[in-house]
Amino acid sequence: MTAHDYPTGTLVDKAGIDMTLVGDSLAMVALGYTSTSEAVNNAVRMLKEGKVEAVKLEGGKEMAPTIAQLTKVGIPVLGHIGLTPQRQASLGGYKVQGKSVAKARAMIDDAIALQEAGCYAIVLEAVPAPVATHITNVLSIPTIGIGAGAGCSGQVLVQQDMLGLYGRVPRFCKTYRALADDIVGALKEFSADVKSRAFPADEHTYPMPQEELSRFLQFMSADKVVAEKARIADNQ
Amino acid sequence: MSFVTSNLGASKVLQAATRPRSLLRYLSTSSAALRPAMTPLLLRGQFQPTLAQQQRQEKQIRHSTQTQVREYSSRPADADHHHVRPKVTLATLRKLHKRNEPITVMTAHDFPTGTLVDKAGIDMTLVGDSLAMVALGYTSTSEITLEEMLHHCRAVSRGTRSSFLVADMPFGTYETNPDQAVSNAVRMIKEGKVEAVKLEGGKEMAPTIARLTQVGIPVLGHIGLTPQRQASLGGYKVQGKTVAKAKAMIDDALALQQAGCYAVVLEAVPAPVATHITNLLSIPTIGIGAGAGCSGQVLVQQDMLGLYGRVPRFCKTYRSLADDIVGALKEYSADVKSGTFPAEEHTYPMPQEELNRFMEFVGRQDDEAVNGNSSNAAAGHA
Repeated sequence: MTAHDYPTGTLVDKAGIDMTLVGDSLAMVALGYTSTSEAVNNAVRMLKEGKVEAVKLEGGKEMAPTIAQLTKVGIPVLGHIGLTPQRQASLGGYKVQGKSVAKARAMIDDAIALQEAGCYAIVLEAVPAPVATHITNVLSIPTIGIGAGAGCSGQVLVQQDMLGLYGRVPRFCKTYRALADDIVGALKEFSADVKSRAFPADEHTYPMPQEELSRFLQFMSADKVVAEKARIADNQ
Repeated sequence: MSFVTSNLGASKVLQAATRPRSLLRYLSTSSAALRPAMTPLLLRGQFQPTLAQQQRQEKQIRHSTQTQVREYSSRPADADHHHVRPKVTLATLRKLHKRNEPITVMTAHDFPTGTLVDKAGIDMTLVGDSLAMVALGYTSTSEITLEEMLHHCRAVSRGTRSSFLVADMPFGTYETNPDQAVSNAVRMIKEGKVEAVKLEGGKEMAPTIARLTQVGIPVLGHIGLTPQRQASLGGYKVQGKTVAKAKAMIDDALALQQAGCYAVVLEAVPAPVATHITNLLSIPTIGIGAGAGCSGQVLVQQDMLGLYGRVPRFCKTYRSLADDIVGALKEYSADVKSGTFPAEEHTYPMPQEELNRFMEFVGRQDDEAVNGNSSNAAAGHA
């Protein structure tokens, strides 16, 4: 399950989820690195400064050399093939991948290359179930599916999607709550409470020691308020 | 004014007559059949717009029928702006205060939280440095840096269309001198894309705040329990419980008003003191743990949604989301472990023809594997 900050991370942990993924926005960009050493440097920063335990990279066999370098220096890598969101433009949009036998076979080759490069697992995204299941059977490392059917070794979802926080969700996401509506409802209740002065009530308010309160009420008696206001108005 | 109405259409016009802008728009869109009946009412002197008013109204109609309406340059135009409420500005807040309508304020720290606050129609969104604790898990609000704050401000701003957006200046970014405060506040506005900043402190911050308001940066003041200084206040304790302290707080509030604050947050202050300050000031007070006598109220979103844990006395919890979310995540977990999720409807099909060919291919792979193994086995047994 994904998480992106302290509360979302805490809740995933509390729920006993096996692996937390700080999703997409922090995934390393597979394209654009001029050298493998750049990828290694950035992965090291992720581990040291980001305090994560592993990194995920998108890409198939062409990323194998980079991934091999990372795993060689002891950085665990989670691979990612299928619909790789960072490359969606070149894939022609957010479309299912591997629907033809040719593409499926290319994906199988990618998966094997990633395993050989040392990935501890591979994410398969938006892939027809038979293809994903076959890849899962062929590999000796786990596959983590998202929109890839129940034949994968594990599943991942985006927390905001499955909680109904974000809006329209992809087909492969099951929504377990409708939190956007729930939260807007709660905020509207707060708004109504404030507008009607129902909130804050006594239990939400701090008392003043009785003696101080009496002295203060004397101090703030009506005519004094008027006089003070007038004095302020004069000064301004 | 009393109106005699003979039909629904006429009464609508008369209601609209008390709001000149909508009257003209109504007239311009109403059916021709209705128009002749209305004109006599107008000419009867119930509503006579001046030329200047008419011109303003026509301009407003033209403006609102354009698809690109830019109220504030950092807000992208909204294609279906008819469904978005009017932008809350400082003028809006003044109007609310003037007619004694409580102002609602809520914190947000990222895109979804900002979007939801905006959708709920809250008047003002505060990117509070409470996010240091409730979003980032720091042990105090003092730990957050300006860069972190700017990152969160930008995210909230992307989700905010109508609410007035204000953000806390982090501890250490404004206390040294007014120059420092100005350059960091400018960064908040330009890079953080917020509309105003909040600073903690009383009369000693007045010169700094005066500089900010002079260069046109709206400032929300904050006195009472000021979290960035909780260590020096001896902890998170209620402030202003003695007459002496209350009087000092009143002086602080007046100084902040004089320095140009558009409003002042009163935090954890006994209600009588907060009410008195509210009555004295001509600018609004926004209370948190300061009683119902303030001009408005603010809460931390994670607290009121039951997301964070133990909440302060002054916070009403409207939901228990932490429990709810952990429950949802556990359901997901159980679904995955049992293979219930994903089901058919969550999975992508493959065109039948391709599927057949693929299954053939898989079958061939399996055969090769089996044959390979048997021949190896045979060799091994030799």
